[in-house]
Amino acid sequence: MKKYTSMLLGTLVALVVLATSSLYIVDQRQLAILFQLGEVVDVKTSPGLYFKIPLAQNVRYFDSRILTMDTAEPERFITSEKKNVLVDLFVKWRIVDVKQYYVSVRGDEMLAQTRLAQTVNSSLRDEFGNRTVHDVVSGERDKIMEIMRQKADADARKIGVEVVDVRLKRVDLPQEVSESVYRRMEAERKRVANELRSTGSAESEKIRADADRQREVILAEAYRKAQEAKGEGDAKASAIYAAAYQPNPEFYAFYRSLEAYKQSLKNKSDMLILDPSSEFFKYLRNPGRSAK
Amino acid sequence: MGLNDPQWGRKKGNSGPPDLDQMWRNFNKKLNNLLKRKGGGGGGSSGEGGGDNPKRYSGGIGLLAGLLLLLWVASGFYIVNEGQRGIVLRFGKYVESTQAGLRWHLPYPLEVVEAVNVSGVRTVEIGYRNNVRSKVLKESLMLTDDENIIDIQFAVQYILKNPEEFLFNNREPENAVLQAAETAIREIIGKSKMDFVLYEGREQVAAKATELMQGILDRYKIGIAISKVTMQNAQPPEQVQAAFDDAVKAGQDRERQKNEGQAYANDVIPKAKGNAARLLEESEGYKQRVIASSEGEASRFKQVLVEYNKAPAVTRDRLYLDMMEQVLSNTSKILVDQKAGNNLLYLPLDKLIQASGPSSSSSVAPEAAATSAQEVMPDGAARTREAFRGRERETR
Repeated sequence: MKKYTSMLLGTLVALVVLATSSLYIVDQRQLAILFQLGEVVDVKTSPGLYFKIPLAQNVRYFDSRILTMDTAEPERFITSEKKNVLVDLFVKWRIVDVKQYYVSVRGDEMLAQTRLAQTVNSSLRDEFGNRTVHDVVSGERDKIMEIMRQKADADARKIGVEVVDVRLKRVDLPQEVSESVYRRMEAERKRVANELRSTGSAESEKIRADADRQREVILAEAYRKAQEAKGEGDAKASAIYAAAYQPNPEFYAFYRSLEAYKQSLKNKSDMLILDPSSEFFKYLRNPGRSAK
Repeated sequence: MGLNDPQWGRKKGNSGPPDLDQMWRNFNKKLNNLLKRKGGGGGGSSGEGGGDNPKRYSGGIGLLAGLLLLLWVASGFYIVNEGQRGIVLRFGKYVESTQAGLRWHLPYPLEVVEAVNVSGVRTVEIGYRNNVRSKVLKESLMLTDDENIIDIQFAVQYILKNPEEFLFNNREPENAVLQAAETAIREIIGKSKMDFVLYEGREQVAAKATELMQGILDRYKIGIAISKVTMQNAQPPEQVQAAFDDAVKAGQDRERQKNEGQAYANDVIPKAKGNAARLLEESEGYKQRVIASSEGEASRFKQVLVEYNKAPAVTRDRLYLDMMEQVLSNTSKILVDQKAGNNLLYLPLDKLIQASGPSSSSSVAPEAAATSAQEVMPDGAARTREAFRGRERETR
């Protein structure tokens, strides 16, 4: 009985050992190559549980996810107008043909990335060399990225890799050029500021001058209307006087003269030197006699 | 030892993987106790009852195997917290995503579970870290379409929309979001003019960046939805900040000058209008006055004329005498008989005028004052008398 039990235990252990050495799991995120004595015999691209011959066969795993090649430091590129720009980019890539990948770069990710970097770098130099800074920064940015993706992809297929995307991250001017850009921006702002200030004072002056003009016009217009009204009044008064005095001008002269005498001789300081023989004093000299 | 064992409950509560060592030790201890008790019960017969032992032993093995099986099956229980998804992999292959709650999967090594946090908004920051003031100039300085440089910070908020894709399709997916964000925003800034980015186009830039980023990330099948790109800050670089501020100030200056001009205009024009109104009113008043007085005078004259026509001679005399009376009663006068006199008559006219003035009597010279004071007596009769006397004196 004791022998039976130990036999059972022994079989169990043997089974477990056999299972671990003859079964392998490929994860959702992995690709696997099955080697038999160094020779590639199978490629597993879908996840799951697989068998292998223990000892004779072994498995290597590769990442099936999208990987990133990101340049550590921005590199200098020269544009068509011989200006330097600093470019930082990243490449998204993925192993699609794992056998090819293993054969070409021995499954070494670093090696693959170096290979990709070289391709991208040289095609980028070509593209930048034909374009101005403006094109590179804004105008044809998409186009450059698309061309590079195609070129890089075509090359990467040779090592079993698909290039999903190549994107320019930073396209910057080198420090010394940046300084001159800053100076230019400053000068530009100064221009804007001066323009604003001078147009401000010009507008202000315009408004003032316009106000002064309006004042003159308003006053002149008012003066004209005032004079017209006065003239109208004078004319009407003259007509009324004329109409009234016309019937007897002689009496008007007499009557008006008397008024004038009254008005002009009413102060004590007005001195009259009179001749007592005048008509007015006839009764003064000769009270008894009636008028001649 | 089973599901009802408090041990299980505690382990579950911790939501971590069950502590197998501890369980194993506990299990061993219990097993030992069990065997000892059994052994102790038949302690006396242990030597003689050799045939009994294997049966008991095999029974123990069966129990042990059963317990082990139970334990194994129970190890398949796991808890998914709220806001998480459990991703179940069977032999490495994706099977299902499970929602929050107590779940069971086929025990290891058949199936494994990975928890992914799906709830909550995640953020990446470009151009700064944690605080907008702690800038990362390498990231934040960007070239615009008109070859200016601007300093820009923005934050990207995103959520996981597909945890399986997030888990399986990209290595370092969080990093990929950062990269996509940076390239997208730079592409958009690179296609925009500086003033557009700084002032009127901020929202548009953010919207375009959201769209572009989503496009890039969808190409990577990364399982992420960009919920919002917010521009934290967009400014000219520090080196030229002063010039920009001055330009803004200049804009303010212009407005100020315009306002000052307007203020002047607002002062001058209404005043002029007021003056104009005054002129018009005055002229209207003059007109009315002139007409009214002419009408009045004319009417007065006409009425007098009517009466005059009835008796011209008498009226004429009356009017004349009325006038003379009024005039003479109000004026100083000197009667001089020219027929009797000669040309030597001397009249100190200036003195007389002075004396007749209402307030000048005291300043008259004493000698002249004596005569003139008498001569300019207000009373008409007295004065004439004096005048006559003077004349006689002169003529003598």
